Amino acid sequence: MALLEINQLKLYYKTLRGIVKAVDNVSFDVEAGEAIGIVGESGCGKTSMANAIIKMLPSNVALYQGRIILDRINIVDLPEDEVRRKIRWRYISIVFQGAMNVLNPVIKVGYQIAEPLIIHAGMDKEEAYKIVKEKMRLVGLHEEVFDRYPHELSGGMKQRVVIAMALVMNPKIIILDEPTSALDVSIQAQIMNLLKKLKRDLNISMIFITHDIALSSDISDKIAVMYAGQIVEIGSAEQVLLSPKHPYTQKLLRATPRLTGEEKPEFIPGTPPDLVNPPNGCRFHPRCSYVMDICRELEPKIFEPEENQKVMCWLYGDKK
Amino acid sequence: MGLASTLFLRALTLATVLILVVFFIVIILGATGTSDKILQAMVNEEVMMLRQSLAKTIKDPQELERVIDVRRQELMEFYGLTKPWYVRLPDMAWRVLTLDLGKARTLKTFTGGNKVSDIVMERLTNTIILVTSATIISALIGLVLGVRIATKVGGILDRISSYMSAISYAIPTWWIGIILIMVFSFLLRLFPFGGLYSTPPPSDPYLRFLDMLWHSVLPVTTLVVASVGVWVYTTRTIVLNIAQEDFVNAARARGLPEELVRRRYIMRVAAPPILTNVILGLATSISGAILTETVFNWPGLGRLFYDAVLVMDEVVVIALTYIFTLVYIVARFLLEVLYIILDPRVRY
Amino acid sequence: MPVRFNETLQEFWRLKVSKVGVAFLTILVFLSIYVVTSYPLDFGVRYWNNPAYWADYPKSAPPSWVNYFSDQKLPEHYVLVYDKPSDIMSTESGRTLLYIFRLDFQADKPPTFISFTLENLTYYSDPPTARLNVKRPDGKDIKLYEYIAPAPYAGESPPYMRFYDIPKRISITGDMSVASALARFLLREYNVSIRPSEVNSIGQHTIVFSVPGPNKEFYVLKGEYIFTISIDTYDPRDNIGKVKLVIGGNVYGFMGTDSLGRDLSIGLLFGFPIALFIGIVTSTITTLLGAGLGIVGGYVGGKVDEVIQRVADFVNNIPLLPLLIFLAFILGQNIWILVFLLVAFGWPTLTIIVRSMVLQLKSSQFIEAAISLGASRLWIMFRHIFPQVAPFVFAQLIFFTPTFILLEAALSFLGLGDPTIPTWGQILEYGFRSGGIYVGLWWWIIPPGLLIIWTAITFVLIALGMEPVVNPRLRRMK
Repeated sequence: MALLEINQLKLYYKTLRGIVKAVDNVSFDVEAGEAIGIVGESGCGKTSMANAIIKMLPSNVALYQGRIILDRINIVDLPEDEVRRKIRWRYISIVFQGAMNVLNPVIKVGYQIAEPLIIHAGMDKEEAYKIVKEKMRLVGLHEEVFDRYPHELSGGMKQRVVIAMALVMNPKIIILDEPTSALDVSIQAQIMNLLKKLKRDLNISMIFITHDIALSSDISDKIAVMYAGQIVEIGSAEQVLLSPKHPYTQKLLRATPRLTGEEKPEFIPGTPPDLVNPPNGCRFHPRCSYVMDICRELEPKIFEPEENQKVMCWLYGDKK
Repeated sequence: MGLASTLFLRALTLATVLILVVFFIVIILGATGTSDKILQAMVNEEVMMLRQSLAKTIKDPQELERVIDVRRQELMEFYGLTKPWYVRLPDMAWRVLTLDLGKARTLKTFTGGNKVSDIVMERLTNTIILVTSATIISALIGLVLGVRIATKVGGILDRISSYMSAISYAIPTWWIGIILIMVFSFLLRLFPFGGLYSTPPPSDPYLRFLDMLWHSVLPVTTLVVASVGVWVYTTRTIVLNIAQEDFVNAARARGLPEELVRRRYIMRVAAPPILTNVILGLATSISGAILTETVFNWPGLGRLFYDAVLVMDEVVVIALTYIFTLVYIVARFLLEVLYIILDPRVRY
Repeated sequence: MPVRFNETLQEFWRLKVSKVGVAFLTILVFLSIYVVTSYPLDFGVRYWNNPAYWADYPKSAPPSWVNYFSDQKLPEHYVLVYDKPSDIMSTESGRTLLYIFRLDFQADKPPTFISFTLENLTYYSDPPTARLNVKRPDGKDIKLYEYIAPAPYAGESPPYMRFYDIPKRISITGDMSVASALARFLLREYNVSIRPSEVNSIGQHTIVFSVPGPNKEFYVLKGEYIFTISIDTYDPRDNIGKVKLVIGGNVYGFMGTDSLGRDLSIGLLFGFPIALFIGIVTSTITTLLGAGLGIVGGYVGGKVDEVIQRVADFVNNIPLLPLLIFLAFILGQNIWILVFLLVAFGWPTLTIIVRSMVLQLKSSQFIEAAISLGASRLWIMFRHIFPQVAPFVFAQLIFFTPTFILLEAALSFLGLGDPTIPTWGQILEYGFRSGGIYVGLWWWIIPPGLLIIWTAITFVLIALGMEPVVNPRLRRMK
């Protein structure tokens, strides 16, 4: 049994223009110690999904249903208070997009990291601080950062703080939502190395959300490609990167510049879909080079062209 | 050390402002001939006293006049009246700074004395009592309501408070005071027309205190009504903006209880900007104090200002201009200290 | 540019607050124009501050419409004027000119004073004698007053002109000879013994209009009163221009009177153009100065910027009202000094904001383009930078106006206003100083305040309406 099983997860919002189907029937599993990369364009619902997993719902929720099974508990059905006390940060923690602003500006960094320990685990300050300092060492932060305020730290240091914070209660899963997009390329590399090290040493599972498929390939064991609120392709990293099946995945890969070779990167024609009124049938069909009539009418079923590589595309209709 | 150096620099800046203001006052006084008038009055006062005491010993009128003339000349030299006003600048500036301005022309202290410094200082506490209590009450109401409204944005309370805030900007504070007197003192006879105590004030200290409290209700209400609209609105806006920040959401994602998030992640972070608004409103509080004290005959610095202007007592006017500036600067500095303590981002 | 202006105008007009604000402003402007065109500009000095002008007005009288709301009718104010006699009687020595004033008195309280005035008297032989008589509703007659015009001076030849420059006002109220005559009347007709000094304290006017009770109280006598002023003249050419009888009321006019008897409706009307003038003029100068300094400082930078910033900082660090009071006190109470002071304290806030806007604009591409084209600094500042900050600056102008109106009102209230110009703040100042609030003279206290508030709100509304224009983020999405 997988560590985390997500099954037919739906999260819809109410907006002035209508109902946004941000997460529409998403399913995947995460094994222990495994990193799964969720890849997709901006606005495809990745962050909504991250929020959905830890049940951080906005006030204008229209629909939230499905199964998120963790340790035989369905998070979807769990009352808010229990999610807060038992699930968040203990089992699943999250590193948000944009470390610039996720820290309280008027409280010392060390205390912020320690806070969940003091509040949740009921530790006293001494114990908590010891653990915090240990985690800080783990992420490569000097001990004196403990007494600093967020504005005194660089972008990279802040990101490390946020990662240390995410690790402080030894969760089984960390969700990382674009953890490096606000950083310089060189710092990016450092953080990625840190994450890889942590994954190795702590055997921690990761849900790594990014728009950059190349970045995702650096750390992910599995890759899921998300489009318009749905997962259109999922498989092992090799499978998805080396033999992508879904036309969107293929286009994504071709859009990545290569260091060697003469090919120029391609762009994906058209615009990202409207999540209030997604296209009929297959949501990618207006931008797909291989579009067939059936694509315009019927939403594709999930097919498995290779073992453990699933794709939502009519091209593979007869392969089941 | 970030904290100490920031504070020191700030203190220096504010002290400079105070000194510049004093010089400015003195220059105006000199250039308009007012300082001449004042010093001359001080000379005449001394001469008069001299005349009275000498008249007892020197019987010959010519001798008396001669002695007095000599002394008068000495005094004029001493006070610098024989030289042009700009030469006297530093001396005048020092006088103003230390409130060494002699006697008031017509105004008196509560006990009948007429030294300017006494008159001014004995009323300082009354003003501070009034302004501080009004500010604290406004702040409490503002914070409580502001936070409540921030959580129910767009509701009726929100709309009412923004209209009220806009309207309270247009209403003169002192007019509110006048209306309150007409309604509550004249019409309903619930509260006194003004003053600090009834005449005669009760001798029992406890009753005296209650008497003062009763007298303070209308003036404090006036000040509160004038400023509470702004307090509520700015608190609401600040709290609203902060509540939408990423770190608030991140705190919830960490599983922190909502109560803690509200206290430490919203309110604590909102404290510095709210305090900034207090600092910005400080000058308005001073104006409000002056006008309200005038309307309610509250014996503080504000009312003294009005009385001094009415009877054209220049020395007291000068002293008060200085004192108000001093009070403003000190209050500002204290608040800025508080701000620096609350917000680590401004320390360098 | 014209397209953008149209668009911003549309955006502004869309909001309800803007419409209300502009409607109010139109009313204010119309009233101001009316006042400026119908009243002399020295109204303040000549009439408002001249107590003699208001001598025949009731003092501290509420507006006349209060009579609709109370069952006790307060007496109206009657001013009866004749420029020709109602009748002429011939006597052996000459003619007697009769001026007959009829008055139907129905109020529940007696009048507040009685006076009569003679104007433009010309006589050729003996000085005329004027007599005032009253015939009361109960049929009783009282000879109230007898007055002989001043005799010719040494060396003066006829025609003798009197009371041309200054009309002769004779007040029945407070006159001891009238008091004695009334005391005699009361004894004779009602057998009430009362000393003339007591008559004087009760008021001659009260006695004339009442019937005595047993204990020296007096009850109002309602009915028709006929006042006759008869002037005995001794030459057929003798003539008197105007004869006026005033029965002082207890209510007056649309807005009542103050303790000097001044008609508050006129005083309040006069406040409109003043308020608009002070507000708009001060605001405009402050805005232009503040924006100008902000642009120059921000764009030119360097030492100039430093200096401007330091000064702005300094001004911002001093408490406004105490310094304003000090300067107004020392420098004098003059409207222009006031405007100057308000501007001097008002410019820094705008300068600081405009400066930071200019700093941002400075590095934008179209400025770089202009520089590379060889445009001079002055040109860039006025043709390129100013238009960018203009909407914001204009909005600030609107927003500052109520501030200055309120500041002037506050200073006037403290007694530092310009005494030659009646403003609402000054009316309130006088009302406060003479204790009006302690005796409940609401018509004196409430209207000026309401007008100040109304004017301030007008501008606040317009400023609110302009906010989305100025701050595009607040515009509604189409």
